[in-house]
Amino acid sequence: MIWQAEERLRRPIPQEPLTKPGSDGDGPSRPDVRRPETNELLKRMRRIDPEQARRYRQRSGE
Amino acid sequence: MGYNNPVQRLTGIETEYGLYVEGRGVADQLMEAVGVVRSCPLPAVRSWDYRLEDPRRDMRGFRVEHLEVDPHDAQIEREHPVPLSEREVRSDHALGNGARLYNDHAHPEYATPECRRLLDLIAHDKAGERIVLACARAYERQTGNRLTLYKNNSDHHGSSYGCHESYSTTREVPFEVLVANMLPFLVTRMLYAGAGKVGVEAEPNPRVPFQLSQRADFYMDIMNVETLYRRPIFNTRDEPHAPMRRYRRLHVICGDANMSEYATALKVGTTALVLDLTELGWRTPLSIPNPVREAQRLSRDTDLKWLVETDMGAMSAIDIQRAYWQAASERFAGRDAETDWLLREWQTVLDLLETDPERLADRIDWVAKRQLLTLYVESEGLSWDDPALFALDLEYHNVDPEQGLYYALVEQGQMLTLVSTEAIEQAVHQPPLDTRAAIRGLCIQRFAEQIETLNWERILLRDGNQSARLDLSRLIEIDLRELSRRLTTAPDITTFVRMVKEVQSS
Repeated sequence: MIWQAEERLRRPIPQEPLTKPGSDGDGPSRPDVRRPETNELLKRMRRIDPEQARRYRQRSGE
Repeated sequence: MGYNNPVQRLTGIETEYGLYVEGRGVADQLMEAVGVVRSCPLPAVRSWDYRLEDPRRDMRGFRVEHLEVDPHDAQIEREHPVPLSEREVRSDHALGNGARLYNDHAHPEYATPECRRLLDLIAHDKAGERIVLACARAYERQTGNRLTLYKNNSDHHGSSYGCHESYSTTREVPFEVLVANMLPFLVTRMLYAGAGKVGVEAEPNPRVPFQLSQRADFYMDIMNVETLYRRPIFNTRDEPHAPMRRYRRLHVICGDANMSEYATALKVGTTALVLDLTELGWRTPLSIPNPVREAQRLSRDTDLKWLVETDMGAMSAIDIQRAYWQAASERFAGRDAETDWLLREWQTVLDLLETDPERLADRIDWVAKRQLLTLYVESEGLSWDDPALFALDLEYHNVDPEQGLYYALVEQGQMLTLVSTEAIEQAVHQPPLDTRAAIRGLCIQRFAEQIETLNWERILLRDGNQSARLDLSRLIEIDLRELSRRLTTAPDITTFVRMVKEVQSS
């Protein structure tokens, strides 16, 4: 645990990894959106039990 | 006119997770949530000190007699009492990364440690997902029951649970000014901070198959101190977890839980910028006379015209956001790298919302979710009222990377992420080192056995016959990196305490 703390001090998260693809200065930039692998996504969505939302009931929280 | 002492702000996010246990119902949920939290595999101190908490104190200068509860939930509680004390129900775990994990109203809740930098907050918010998931998997191994965790805010049957944000701010700003500046901003920030939701819960409306916000259906009041029922847009709870004379804590309860790191960063970062403006003395030029109605209208606007009724007439929600962006840009551009990133991204997002919102599918949750659902609807030849869409909505928020649809998009490189896997893993174990959370976290890591009780503001220690109290309440605005570095090598608890007290008195 302590070793990890020291490690972090030596390697702080860089100040500016907050970047996005396609950032090109002024004005809106076009994100580098590749076409989704729709087949894979659809496969994953088809595996979802359509009844799950009907069963899912929660206590009211904050 | 500006106020004399703007704040070097701390921020935090508390998330109540939705919990589904196969074969169990809402009557069992409290005990299941307790079981999940108590299965936490990380080292923790379990004696949370509640003596400084006062959730009934209102910023308007009074205390309410009691907090309201959801009548349906109260009925469940009456009919299914649990054989546990209040403390056992809470099952608090103060973790070595400075965070707090506990059971809040039958939901496992993870409250991040106090962070100053956005990237730290994002890493700790994501670390919370991993920690709660690790608890759930440990609980599964004990019970044999299959669990699913959702980071969302609604069960689609009328129950909501929260994702709250905290921002330290100065008490110099009059309450009325704070409310006036925040309300139009909070109503309209769902344009980029909304997590998206299939349908409408308050009044099912087939003409609204999809809306921007998970939470807007549950707004009932402009402002109040409640969180469980009659939820407001502006929460007036006055619990600064810091010296009352100097600080307020803006407790934002109207927001959605975001899966997207980018959306979380923009949500928290822009809210902090509006507080910066407020502390400088800036005043918003407009107000929204009926913010509850307008927030719900905005969320449910299927034409994406996003017009809001203001005291100056109907205005585009994008233009309202632009007024805040413009004011922040004029005053804060060039201040530091994080601010410049925020101003640039805020502008880009507002421009794209106006011209081509679909291009935000790689960073804004509601757009990403809506695209996924559209793909499914078109592929399967369904209508938008098909019950399967509610299940898909839910699965977008499944925090298991192997199950969740958000994580399917991440896996395919379709979502922007801001922090590395290593940074998230580090945040599971380590506090942010520049805030008071570092003292709490390092103390838990190193001297858990000697901690009698603790909370956000203090740590009570006992070592044999000796006791000590570490008061963290005033360490809001000091950069504690140097102290943290020294604390990691303190040879014993006496030295640890001395080092902290030296900083307190300096």
